[in-house]
Amino acid sequence: MPAPADLLTFLRDVRLFTRFREPDLIALAESLRERHLRKNQVLFREGDPGDELFIVRHGSVLVSKAIKGRVEQVLDRVRPADFFGEMSLLDGSPRSATVQAEADATLLALNRSGLQRLTDTNPHAAAAFFSAMVNVFIERLRRSTHQVAEATRWGLEATGLDVESR
Amino acid sequence: MTERPAPARLELLVRHDDESFEVREVGSSLAFVQSRPRRGLDGSFEVSEFASRVAGEQGFVLKNAATERFLVLSEPEKFLWEHMDGNTSLQELATAYVLRYGEFDFDIIPNLIRKLQRAQLLTLEPKSRLRQALARNRRQRAAKTVETMLMGLERIKIASRTVQPFFQRLHRWGGFVVFTRAAAVSCLALGVLGGVAAVALLRELDDIFSGFGGHALLGVLVVKLLFFGSVALHQVVHGLACVHYGRRAREFGFAFLHGFVPTFYVDVTDIFMASRRARVVTAVSGTLVHLVLGAVWFLIAAQAPVGSFTQAFAAASGIIQWQALAISLYPFCFIEVDGYHVFVDLLGVPTLKHDALSYAAALLGGRARLRWGRLEGLWLAYVALSTLSIAAFLAFNVWLVVRAIA
Repeated sequence: MPAPADLLTFLRDVRLFTRFREPDLIALAESLRERHLRKNQVLFREGDPGDELFIVRHGSVLVSKAIKGRVEQVLDRVRPADFFGEMSLLDGSPRSATVQAEADATLLALNRSGLQRLTDTNPHAAAAFFSAMVNVFIERLRRSTHQVAEATRWGLEATGLDVESR
Repeated sequence: MTERPAPARLELLVRHDDESFEVREVGSSLAFVQSRPRRGLDGSFEVSEFASRVAGEQGFVLKNAATERFLVLSEPEKFLWEHMDGNTSLQELATAYVLRYGEFDFDIIPNLIRKLQRAQLLTLEPKSRLRQALARNRRQRAAKTVETMLMGLERIKIASRTVQPFFQRLHRWGGFVVFTRAAAVSCLALGVLGGVAAVALLRELDDIFSGFGGHALLGVLVVKLLFFGSVALHQVVHGLACVHYGRRAREFGFAFLHGFVPTFYVDVTDIFMASRRARVVTAVSGTLVHLVLGAVWFLIAAQAPVGSFTQAFAAASGIIQWQALAISLYPFCFIEVDGYHVFVDLLGVPTLKHDALSYAAALLGGRARLRWGRLEGLWLAYVALSTLSIAAFLAFNVWLVVRAIA
């Protein structure tokens, strides 16, 4: 069944696929599996096995990491055309964080076999995919570094600790 | 002007019993006001009171018994400290403060917390402005060399932290005599006799210094070296006084102050927890060593043959001892010596030098306006008198050396 036009239009806005040609997008769309989440529904928890990358098509999801008891720190809020879960897709490691829907959401899932098919049949598209992925990684690494600094600042401010004079 | 960043925020997800959850943004400022500071357990600190005669306010000295650090607290700060029981949040503390004083100074709580956390107010090794300037110019070879040399000297520190038994024994075996009325009267009498001898010697100053012959400079250097021994005695008497009033001498030793001023020192900060009389006696008693030694030297000089080496040596020693006495007792010289401590203690303004210099710097930098309150007047008088005194001291010493050499 051919991919609907609105899906192709959406995929063109996803950073991973911006350099894909039309036939590449059509081939990719066939590998994607749609999933629906209700508000508050957990997609996966930290430590769960997994090998899928998810692209948010509608709604938004929260990525969180356990801190203490029932409290988790919100690491990211993923909105339409953005994606998450790429680490398990690439290295097959357990999920490093929990993901839940902040509002009703529709996701597109790309699993490892879908990625393998893309790499095997369309090296040009695969190269574009990985190149975009590296850029996103760099961006997220920068954001993580900033988050660490902000968390440290939060701690210092919250405790009133005077480090400068020590 | 650098803008202060907005308080940091953490986004937290809190799960409920059912599947639902909620996201809460927690600002660091909220966390701060909800924190519940806890002071040390009873017995881990001591509080002593003093009264400021300038500002007419009460003040307190807080001693951490474990770290042996001291903090000066105002009355409102002590009020806050007493409420820091681990159950009262900072928000509740602020409310209590308003109910008690009818107003709220937004900075007082964070400032107090910083002070309490720091607890390093009394250190014997302050970093000087010279060292800061050298550090800034470390790229220049000369500055680097001087800094390395000063750092090397600063590392030379011979000290003991177990001196209390020594001072206790010394006090028991006769040291207590120093603090008797008879000793005070003898000291005073010796001072008067020494003064009379010094006045008589002044008339023949040129003849006296001729006793050095052609070795005036060498003579003055030996006098200085001998004087250095009396500095150790000065510190021993401070330690004895501290023990006399039932407090602890924490450390005694030799070090290079600021990296280049060789000095003996004794840490008698524990005396802050004693009465004002005890603090004053402890501060003054050490300086009296110079009064006694100076008087003895002047009496020797008066008895020695005119123009002899003995007379010249004794007179120079007497001058340097009494000069040390004057410097030790004189509070206006930007140095926190014994007289300064007595002065600020009597006034009840323990941070006078710091406050005065900060105010003067702010005035000169255009960051503060000239005000004519009692405290501001005291600060300006302190800075002016100290500046004039140092200039006079330098001029006197130049004159003395020139006279000795001529």
